[in-house]
Amino acid sequence: MILFENSEARLLNIIRWGNNPFKKFVCTSEIKEELNLVKSRDNFIKNIKSIVKQNKNFILPIIGDVGVGRTHLYWALKNNLYYYNSFYISLESVYKKFFYNIYSEFIENLEIAPLKFVVNQLCENWGALERKYGFFHVVDIEKVKQTAFKQLLTKYSEIDPETLIDAINGITTHQLDPYKKIEAERWLLGKLMDAKELSTLNLSHDLHKGKNAYILLRLLIENSKLGTILFIDDFERIIKIMKPQDETPEEVFDPSWLYGSEMSPNDIASEKIFIKIIQLQKIDGLRIIITLKSIEALEQIKKKYQDMDPELLSLIREPLFLKNFSEDDIFEFYKNTMSTFYNSIECNEFTLAFENPYFPLNKLTLKNIFEHTQGNPRAIIKILIKIFNEIIDDEENLDVIIKKYERLDN
Amino acid sequence: MSDSDNNILFDSVKGIQLEGAFEGSIITRCRDDNDSIIFSDNLKISNSEGIFIANGFRVGFELNYNKKIAFSRKIEAQWYEDFESIEYSILISEDIMQIYDEGQFSDAFPYTLNKLNTAALYLDDYQYGINHLEFFKEEMLRNPVALVGNGVIVADRVVIDERIDPVFYDCLIVGRDEKDDLSVSFEPYMNVKISLTDVKYILILGIEELKL
Repeated sequence: MILFENSEARLLNIIRWGNNPFKKFVCTSEIKEELNLVKSRDNFIKNIKSIVKQNKNFILPIIGDVGVGRTHLYWALKNNLYYYNSFYISLESVYKKFFYNIYSEFIENLEIAPLKFVVNQLCENWGALERKYGFFHVVDIEKVKQTAFKQLLTKYSEIDPETLIDAINGITTHQLDPYKKIEAERWLLGKLMDAKELSTLNLSHDLHKGKNAYILLRLLIENSKLGTILFIDDFERIIKIMKPQDETPEEVFDPSWLYGSEMSPNDIASEKIFIKIIQLQKIDGLRIIITLKSIEALEQIKKKYQDMDPELLSLIREPLFLKNFSEDDIFEFYKNTMSTFYNSIECNEFTLAFENPYFPLNKLTLKNIFEHTQGNPRAIIKILIKIFNEIIDDEENLDVIIKKYERLDN
Repeated sequence: MSDSDNNILFDSVKGIQLEGAFEGSIITRCRDDNDSIIFSDNLKISNSEGIFIANGFRVGFELNYNKKIAFSRKIEAQWYEDFESIEYSILISEDIMQIYDEGQFSDAFPYTLNKLNTAALYLDDYQYGINHLEFFKEEMLRNPVALVGNGVIVADRVVIDERIDPVFYDCLIVGRDEKDDLSVSFEPYMNVKISLTDVKYILILGIEELKL
């Protein structure tokens, strides 16, 4: 029978087994982030929610320094706006196959059941559910395709007829031809398909072809009952590419030898991405949230819009600024993370077990960390990881470690 | 699922006769030698002129020499001046039809047999009886229509189970309750035990004939 248990020693033992409550200092789009935002950012989320609710098409710039929690914000938004289909891309990674990559992310987040519902609705709009004698659906696929082509050609006059035909064939085959449904579903999910498979479905290209991915993306977003939010991280990537080349004389290879002096390959690439983003803005119901590191970057982007398509400038909303943690935030963040950790090790009783609520650290240490990092969340997490690693390594006494971090220099 | 929003346009038993022109999904059960059923998307009732159906689809059994055969025929335009020849006409509510559509639209069973021409699956007749249920054991047939007692079953598909009884899937059922009131319901599936139920006939609509 246990008469007395030393909770502090027990927690330290658990940590020394190699359990660091602070595991990562970089948030990614792949790994779901459960921890919610700190309270001081509540209003920030409320502002975004209200913009999302009131507008169907916009670009909302969010400006924040490196490590301030821009990608974490994506997860917080996704959790808060769960009734929207929110998906994330980073211009760092989605550089080539732009529309295909966006389509893949969109589908992955939408999931198969809503996808089937949307394509079903599309076919219904094209007359597939017409009832013969008031009861019987005898689908005339060719008639449905013709109706669809007429409708889409009027609506999307700027899109090649060949691309529209591919989209119509893919969707109608998936919904109306039970014998080719499985292959059509692979196409719809963006799988790579060989010429034989495509010819069976009477298609010219799979969705790796940008134009096809774009029209499918447009059809699905515009006909989806859920609203869609595209979160584009590292949007200043466009600016970086757009910046004039460094004039260092060390350059061995001058790209102008190949591409001409007027535009560098980077300029061409940035131009292409920019045009594609403008195309995305034409999708009715697509709300775009972009993250930038500085207001200067936003100004450059606006200038680019001014040159390319001034009408779209009105869609760019006033920027929101994501700031570093306040002093209270670090305490809240620490407590929340420890609480999540206790939950993960099934020791929820630790939440209220200690006299010092910040055990094994203390208020002074956290305050010093805050001052040292000026409240930058990533820098704070990095130091916390370091402290807990030192506790795990157990090279020094806990008091010595804590004392060391109480004296952090700015 | 049953729905009280169905509109009984004409009921010879209860003396209901709504005058006017109606559109939607209408089932009319005839009182004739063929026990025929008419599916239509329109129906007009006039107290003086009778019941008028344009572009309908009539199904049932008819005697051809010494044989009863299933038939389905398009009705271009037909007046039933004599109300006596109709038992009831009911307009199915759009809510039920939407559920019925969803069932029809799901092609989760691609290996269903579609008959090209309307064919008899079962006919309960002392002299001309037909029973092909055993032949289609464990097969799935598309577009069955059945006359069971006072009711009509229109289903998306029927499976003949291992006991040689039909199981209807995604079906609309029109029938009379214990007070002889007409009602409509939708059932995702319904077992019909041939030996215990008053099944008058089951026919399979031909896909080619629906296309006409």
